[in-house]
Amino acid sequence: MRVAWTLLWKDLATEWRSRDRLVAMIVFSMLVIVVFQFGWPPMKPAEMERFAPGVLWVTYVFAAVIGLGRTFAMELENDAMTALALAPGTRGWIFLGKAGATWLLISLVQAMTAFVFALFFRVDLASGIAGSALVAGLANVSICSVGTLLSAMSVRSRFRDVLLPVLLIPTLIPVLAAAVRGSTATFAGQAAPFDALQPLIVIGGIYSILCFLLFDFVLDE
Amino acid sequence: MNVTPNPPDRIARAQRVLGWILLALSPVYAWAVVRAPTDSIQGTMQKILYVHPPLAYGAYLGFVVTAVAGGLFLWRGRERDDQLAIAGAEVGTVFCTLMLITGPIWARGAWGPGNWWVWDARLTLTLLLWFVYLAYLLLRSFTEGDERTARFASIYGVLCVVLIPLNYWIIDLVGGRAQHPKNIEGGSLGEGMGFPFLMGNLTLFFAFAYLLVLRWRVGVLRAESELRAWEGDAAR
Repeated sequence: MRVAWTLLWKDLATEWRSRDRLVAMIVFSMLVIVVFQFGWPPMKPAEMERFAPGVLWVTYVFAAVIGLGRTFAMELENDAMTALALAPGTRGWIFLGKAGATWLLISLVQAMTAFVFALFFRVDLASGIAGSALVAGLANVSICSVGTLLSAMSVRSRFRDVLLPVLLIPTLIPVLAAAVRGSTATFAGQAAPFDALQPLIVIGGIYSILCFLLFDFVLDE
Repeated sequence: MNVTPNPPDRIARAQRVLGWILLALSPVYAWAVVRAPTDSIQGTMQKILYVHPPLAYGAYLGFVVTAVAGGLFLWRGRERDDQLAIAGAEVGTVFCTLMLITGPIWARGAWGPGNWWVWDARLTLTLLLWFVYLAYLLLRSFTEGDERTARFASIYGVLCVVLIPLNYWIIDLVGGRAQHPKNIEGGSLGEGMGFPFLMGNLTLFFAFAYLLVLRWRVGVLRAESELRAWEGDAAR
């Protein structure tokens, strides 16, 4: 367990000093939102609200892919991956530390993206903010658990930048469907519906446990 | 990775037996399809029924084989298990692709012009399964090192087999349009269609099994010849 805390702290401290991933994800998210503006016909804010959950979740997933791609890339320098593999105890804790740090970063980026989106497109996202945060927080558990596992694999492959989204996105479709369903209700000011929270909790639980166990096989001996 | 040095006799024997069964079943299957009654509404095109659902079963079976063999590889580290996982994925991809091709042909005829594709629960699920198959094969070709490739692919196979029930549940939940009829589950196939449908399932199941074992054998033989070449180099 201490390994997980140490890694989480190390990743956050590294990020705080460099701010590489954070800046990249935020700039990318804003760009995607701007691109969307040119991709649809002129619309009133009320109409825009119908598209908001879809647009935001597509942006979130793409930004997450960028962030997750760097999760283990920085460990390649000075062969820190080998050092990680040598850490005492279950390797699942390494996974948990990494996934936890990514969860915090991605959540922060999502909050900022939603704020910018609401500002640019005059969409009221404030009324159901607690429900939206809950939906996003739960969905991020799945995104970060599968993403961390697949990132540790793809970083050791050729064309890793292409491989990660190709591997990750199909696994996130059920999460995305439930999250969009949940956000549609919370953006309209309603409470998060149970039939969106239930799959997010179940999928998040299954993915986390499975990835915790499978991570043992990812790092090279 | 542990490579078992014995020649794959049992795999070869299984391949031969499956080949003979397939050879015996195929003419009966063809005859049954030709003799099957023509549908009063859809006409001859409805006979795609004797190909399309059996392909779907093969596609799912391939994925289960890949995941189970991947799990066994992670557990025991035997190269042969990994070769079975590759075979499952490749044959499954072929079946999945053929299902995705035959489906829209039937859909256009049955659901009206322009209906090549609808976001029906089963269609969506199959498309996702196809993407997972492609991702699995890409992961294999992009990863370097035999042992690492086998390990990573096995992990992905095990992770993604969970995805099938999850997707089914979520697509049902978010209200994917149910376009597929339920008469196969309900046992209400038209008169005279039961036998050719059964033959279709049997024949394509054996076609799946034959191709799977054939591909498995090729993989095992290739791994063995590589090992022998490596041992020869080492002895020199």
